[in-house]
Amino acid sequence: MNDIAIDLQEIVKTYKSGSIEVHALRGVTLRIERGEYVAIMGPSGSGKSTLMNVIGCLDRPTSGNYHLDGIDLSALDDRALAKIRLEKLGFIFQGFNLLPRTDAMKNVSLPLFYAKVSPKERRERARAALAEVGLADRGHHKPSELSGGQQQRVAIARALINNPAVLLADEPTGNLDSTTSEEILALFESLHRAGRTIVVVTHDEEVAERANRVVRLRDGLILSDTPTARGHFSEGSIVPREAIPQS
Amino acid sequence: MLDYMRETLELMQENLTRTILTLIGLVVGVAAIISIQVAAAGMAAAVNGAFRGINVNTFFLFPKSTQGSTQRANLGLSDLTLLERNVPGVETAIPFGQTRTIVNAGHQHVMLKFGGESYRRFSTAPVVAGHAITRTDVENASPVCVLSSKAYARLFPHALDPSTVLGQSVYVGPKRYVVAGVLGPATLSTASLGFDINNDVVIPYTTFYNDYQRGRPLFGIQVLGSRDAKLATLEANAKRVLSEAHGGSIYQTFDFGFFSKQIDGFFGVVGTIVSAVGAISLLVAGIGIMNILFVSVSERTREIGIRRAIGASRATILIQFFVEAFVLAFSGSLVGMLAGLGIGELAQQLFIARISGTIAALPWAQAILLATLFATVVTLVFGTLPALRAASVDPIEALRYE
Repeated sequence: MNDIAIDLQEIVKTYKSGSIEVHALRGVTLRIERGEYVAIMGPSGSGKSTLMNVIGCLDRPTSGNYHLDGIDLSALDDRALAKIRLEKLGFIFQGFNLLPRTDAMKNVSLPLFYAKVSPKERRERARAALAEVGLADRGHHKPSELSGGQQQRVAIARALINNPAVLLADEPTGNLDSTTSEEILALFESLHRAGRTIVVVTHDEEVAERANRVVRLRDGLILSDTPTARGHFSEGSIVPREAIPQS
Repeated sequence: MLDYMRETLELMQENLTRTILTLIGLVVGVAAIISIQVAAAGMAAAVNGAFRGINVNTFFLFPKSTQGSTQRANLGLSDLTLLERNVPGVETAIPFGQTRTIVNAGHQHVMLKFGGESYRRFSTAPVVAGHAITRTDVENASPVCVLSSKAYARLFPHALDPSTVLGQSVYVGPKRYVVAGVLGPATLSTASLGFDINNDVVIPYTTFYNDYQRGRPLFGIQVLGSRDAKLATLEANAKRVLSEAHGGSIYQTFDFGFFSKQIDGFFGVVGTIVSAVGAISLLVAGIGIMNILFVSVSERTREIGIRRAIGASRATILIQFFVEAFVLAFSGSLVGMLAGLGIGELAQQLFIARISGTIAALPWAQAILLATLFATVVTLVFGTLPALRAASVDPIEALRYE
């Protein structure tokens, strides 16, 4: 067990776009502890998407060190990185990104399939995860038969099912109306109270306010890193990881 | 793995029309190859069975025509006795001769095969009424005839029983022959194979000679060997004996082994052509499957991205698309196999069984093996590129892809 969930040291990411070099990240150092609820903000082009991809192990930094849950990721190959995504990370996307032809149960249990969990256990755990996000009765609905909010909750259940070290959400309310957004943000808060580590990438101040800490990026660098009003109040209420019920 | 298969089957159902169109080529290819195998196997069984209608220890002997000359060594009646006496194992030798001619009986005028027969019979068809040609008939060149079941049915369509036609007359031109016997159907006959030597109406070969071949050299000799004689030895000895008697003239012999080889050769050619057509349609089918997989990869780029983000490695995606290719190829091959076996069976029932009365067992094991082999080859050859493309999808790009 490691108290530091995410440890980024001097992360640089440079893209080559034709002959032009794009410096997406110019040296980001960021440490997120277990149980924190952090929002990453920044205008478009600030590098927040790139940072999200690096944290999510979808992209490798050009230079710098990244430890996720105490594991040094720089030496890992594709297969090992896939395993990290599978075991340590839970993704929540703006566009939900559910498999369209597949019902909620199967969508939720997909990570368990890659984790080679038996079909019986997959069903049981998927049912439990759907219940956790309040969709116990929607297991056999396909994404097209669910509302946006419901789809996002299915996506959250999927992200949670492997009990990841970090929940990574990219504009989780971007496609939702304000009422549904509120539901999702409330769900995040309850997950946070249960001790989950949550990183939300957003450009929406209202979403960021709900986190305990806001990291602002500009031009590939951290502009500011401050606790929110909420953060001041709830700092002491962080539940130790050991207390989280293991699903 | 099973999950991948189930998923592929679901996908195939959703795009049913596209799937069917894609798989038609494969179905046709596999069906063509398998059906020709069934037909060839049936034909081989039929060819083996076909000669049971006639005594298999029969061969035909002809003077060999020398190149550039129509001059042939003569054969005469004396050669028949020469063979019977001097070649051990020869039971009987008769002039080769058969003709298609109009045979008349009452008001019936029927085109039938007409030829000579000995009291030692070449035909193995059972006698159902009267008797076969007797030794006395041969020695006296009696004007008698024996009818095959087919000749009986066509010449005497109103007869109640074969025994009622015994003693009645049939005419070939002005010549009259008295029906001495009627044969039952030969269980297997060489009919329809194009070289039937079982005549419909037979008369003693001596009668046939007197009535139709007198004064001319024999065209050839038909020899019946004893049951335990070896044909090859018999033929060699016969050629040698005749050659010595005719000042070194050369003779050639044909037996059913020769005809059998001819038929095998024919089916070899047909088989090669059909296999080539099958191979081409398999190629086209493979390209079709590759196409549907490429479409599937680009349609599902986003899905691949999601799977990758969730924790699928490149290798896992690769396997998934291989499984998909295999399920596609295998279902096509399976349908093709069943269709091929069906067509082969139908061909056997409709054509081969009519000729030979035999039906070869369907080569299930061979067909399943072949179908699996095709599916595997098609998967490996045509599934690799799409699967590699799927595996190389960049999850970041894919998730951005709308």
